[in-house]
Amino acid sequence: MKTELLHGTLDVLILKTLSWGPMHGFGVGKWIGQLSGDELRIEEGSLYPALYRLEKKGWIDASWGLSDNQRRAKFYRLTAEGRRQLLKNSDIWSTFAQAVARVLTAKQQPVS
Amino acid sequence: MSTPLWRRYLRFFGPDPAADVDDEFAFHLEMRIDELRAQGLSPREARDEALRGFRDLQHVKKVCRSLAEERESAMRRTQWWSDWRHDLRFAVRQLTVSPILTGVLVLTIALGIGSTVAIFSVLHAVVLRPLPGDESERIVSIYETWRQFRTGSASAGHFHDWTEHNTVFEHTAATARGTYNLSDGEPERVAGMRATPGYFRVMHITPALGRYFTDADTAGGARVVVLSHGLWQRRFGADPSIVGRSIRLNGEAHTVVGVASPDYAMTRFTPQLWTPIVFAPKLRENYGSHSLGVIGKLKAGVTRDAAQADMERVTRGIAQRQPREMEGRSVNVVPFSDVILGNIRARLYVMLASVTFVLLIGCVNVANLLLARAATRRREIAIRAAIGGGRWRIVRQLLTESVVLAVIGGTAGVAVAYLGIRLFVAFGPPNTPRLQDAGLQTEVLLFAVGITLLTGLVFGMAPALRAARENLLTPLREGGKTSLPPARDRLRGVLVVGEIAVAVVLLVGAGLFLRSAWRLQQVPLGVDTSRVLTARVALSPERYSGDEAVADAFRRMIEEARAMPGLQRVGAATNIPLLGAGPDSGTQIEGKPFTPGQALSPLVRLVTDGYVEAIGMPLARGRTFQASDMAPGASKVVMINEQMARLAWPGEDPIGKRLSAWTGDTAEWREVVGIVGDVRSLGADTPPQPELFMSYTQPPPQAWPFFQRSMALVARTADEPTPHASTLRRVVRSVDASLPVYDVMTMDEALGDDGAGPRFNTWLLSLLALAGLLLAAIGIYGVITYFVTQRIPEIGLRLALGATPRSVLLMVIRHGAVLAIVGIGIGLAGALATTRTLTTMLFEVTATDAPSYAAGAAALFTTALLACAVPAIRAVRVNPMRSLTES
Repeated sequence: MKTELLHGTLDVLILKTLSWGPMHGFGVGKWIGQLSGDELRIEEGSLYPALYRLEKKGWIDASWGLSDNQRRAKFYRLTAEGRRQLLKNSDIWSTFAQAVARVLTAKQQPVS
Repeated sequence: MSTPLWRRYLRFFGPDPAADVDDEFAFHLEMRIDELRAQGLSPREARDEALRGFRDLQHVKKVCRSLAEERESAMRRTQWWSDWRHDLRFAVRQLTVSPILTGVLVLTIALGIGSTVAIFSVLHAVVLRPLPGDESERIVSIYETWRQFRTGSASAGHFHDWTEHNTVFEHTAATARGTYNLSDGEPERVAGMRATPGYFRVMHITPALGRYFTDADTAGGARVVVLSHGLWQRRFGADPSIVGRSIRLNGEAHTVVGVASPDYAMTRFTPQLWTPIVFAPKLRENYGSHSLGVIGKLKAGVTRDAAQADMERVTRGIAQRQPREMEGRSVNVVPFSDVILGNIRARLYVMLASVTFVLLIGCVNVANLLLARAATRRREIAIRAAIGGGRWRIVRQLLTESVVLAVIGGTAGVAVAYLGIRLFVAFGPPNTPRLQDAGLQTEVLLFAVGITLLTGLVFGMAPALRAARENLLTPLREGGKTSLPPARDRLRGVLVVGEIAVAVVLLVGAGLFLRSAWRLQQVPLGVDTSRVLTARVALSPERYSGDEAVADAFRRMIEEARAMPGLQRVGAATNIPLLGAGPDSGTQIEGKPFTPGQALSPLVRLVTDGYVEAIGMPLARGRTFQASDMAPGASKVVMINEQMARLAWPGEDPIGKRLSAWTGDTAEWREVVGIVGDVRSLGADTPPQPELFMSYTQPPPQAWPFFQRSMALVARTADEPTPHASTLRRVVRSVDASLPVYDVMTMDEALGDDGAGPRFNTWLLSLLALAGLLLAAIGIYGVITYFVTQRIPEIGLRLALGATPRSVLLMVIRHGAVLAIVGIGIGLAGALATTRTLTTMLFEVTATDAPSYAAGAAALFTTALLACAVPAIRAVRVNPMRSLTES
């Protein structure tokens, strides 16, 4: 199942993924899919522009290195600024997600 | 999907976002295809599936690429600014490390830039700004030429023919100097201009008040006047209701129609007011009396040469009708800016070039000092290179230091320029048009900024280039020694040779001007200017209308003056040497029918008896005017100068012969009674003109109105002349208390004003050459001192091995002498190539004048040897033991 992501969600997901260590774009997309239990499939057409945008903002930076199968790949890494943004945004997202979950799992009609 | 090889090489020259995006996406697709193949898809299916994730691969690439590029350029900008801030901080720290050196550098730059900016400011105010008025670049002066005299006045006939038959001018106008007695209130004499109404159309500047006079005014014969802005302010208290008022000029009521724009005031001799010239019908046909200045405004798009050709055509037409008057005459069209500026423009450019040369020499000295300091910083620079400062970064750092230095120097230079401009305006040649406008205007400040940055780059180039070329690691490999650069420093040698060469050019130029000034001093003016006082008086037409009344008034003044103690010789003339040329007139010689090539146009003066003695002209033959010649009914007499005698009666004795002048074809014969020595009436630098002197009691018809009933009184005094000015005033007042006395000055003062322009030029250029010489000496001293310092161990060794002090002295001196000789050689060649441009400014000195070249070379060589002497003596005093143990 593929879920459309709310605007800005993808950025947080990328930052979170990279918080474990440097990874190339392909790996980032794969990780997000795996971590979401294959619930989220990130399209390349969204993933790469998001990566470049984050790089431009200075939240992540990139360098060329070798992948596990010895191929030249561009690896992304979280910057100090990116880590700060991740902390800030993940708080907001979990608050938001909990709030949404609370609404959706409500057992009682609110008192008016 | 692999990247073409060349694409990869591009990354050598910096990041390549496009290639990066391609590579990254290629990698992604490969990985994805592998993954899909592992799930059992065919290669084709895998590939389609992989691409599907991108939807539109090219579009995604484009988005990523432009994001990457934006990021790239933002980074470069940030990097550049942070580097720059770092360089700046570092530069300032470097300058504060050695405050004395920095002080010397800043002072050199400040003086160099300051004086250059000051001269530029004057050039800008005087030459570069367009003249005031609409399309002023189209204004020209039109002269009648006579033989070699290119700027003669025109006759009324010429003016009318030129105006009516030309096809090149929008407007033309005739002008004549006029002087006016202002009699409302304190009587005052003012210099004005008589002009045809076209004057204000040629030189149109919107009037400050009212209007200028027009053809309607002159056709109706109205007595009208336009006041200059200065006169209106000074004499009429800037009265806004002046227009329409009547003021008395030379005793006659004139209506003020307007006040001219203040922009008409360009020189000290700006007219104070303007009245119309109205030509009597008879004058329309006069081609013989030349007294008018003619100006014209070219039609749009007409060049000077085209105007010259057209005016020659018109003038040839006149010559066909008036072959006799036109003998040897033609026409000369000169741009008005050239008339106003004359030699001033060329002089100012020479000054700017010279001061730039001095600045250049100063730059070389600064570069040399910076190189010397860079030598002590080699280790620091090498370390910076070793820890990753790129070569370009180091060059940039050094250039930043230089520019910071230049900016500090330039800022101080603007203050120097301010003072320099004030000095120039105060001591510069009087009558330089618009000199008082020189200041620190926007254009001048922009020039200052430009020259400052350029200066910084020029003197910063040498140390920066050296850092860029040098093997940066050598100093580190050399080990512990902090600095041991090569003793013979070729770059510094080249710089010193260069500055010597420039200094030689300056010295030779100054030498030429000094020789020229000396020559000018040697030229006999023809009159003895010491202890001579002159003052001008003009009679008003209403009270002195007839010739007899005029002559009688001047006779009484002369008689009164002769009775005064202290005035030894007294006379008067309508024009005197150095103070205005006066009119010239076609002249017939009795018994000599007009022959082509023989036409004569001597300057004509009316003089009193005693004038020749008072002004101090030598008598060559015959006699001077006596009181009896002045008596009523005396036979008509004339004196001529030697020039005129040679032209009119070559190889004959003119005494007793007769001539007629001023009266055109109707002869009025006057007998030559005396021949006086030639006088350089138009200034020391102009050869004597033919002149003739008539008795003031025997004026040709209409001469007194033409001369404005004005004469210059001339008194030779027993002692210092200046205090006698009050005596002359008293004399004039005793004859007529309403007559103002003006242009009071001694002949020495007149002579001083005459040479003021060239003198100031010579003085300033000599000063600049001296500055260049001193700076060059400092440069040589620096290099030789460095040479000696680096060689102390070697010198010690030589001395220890038995070399004589003399040979050591010679070794050092020889090093300096070689630099000096090479520099002098190049400089002399440079001077030969450049001083040709000075030719028109030199008087009886050619641009290849050997003594000037020899003097320039000798001055520099001597100074160079002196500059070497100090370090050479230090070299001789080297203690062999100590220098050896230290090394």
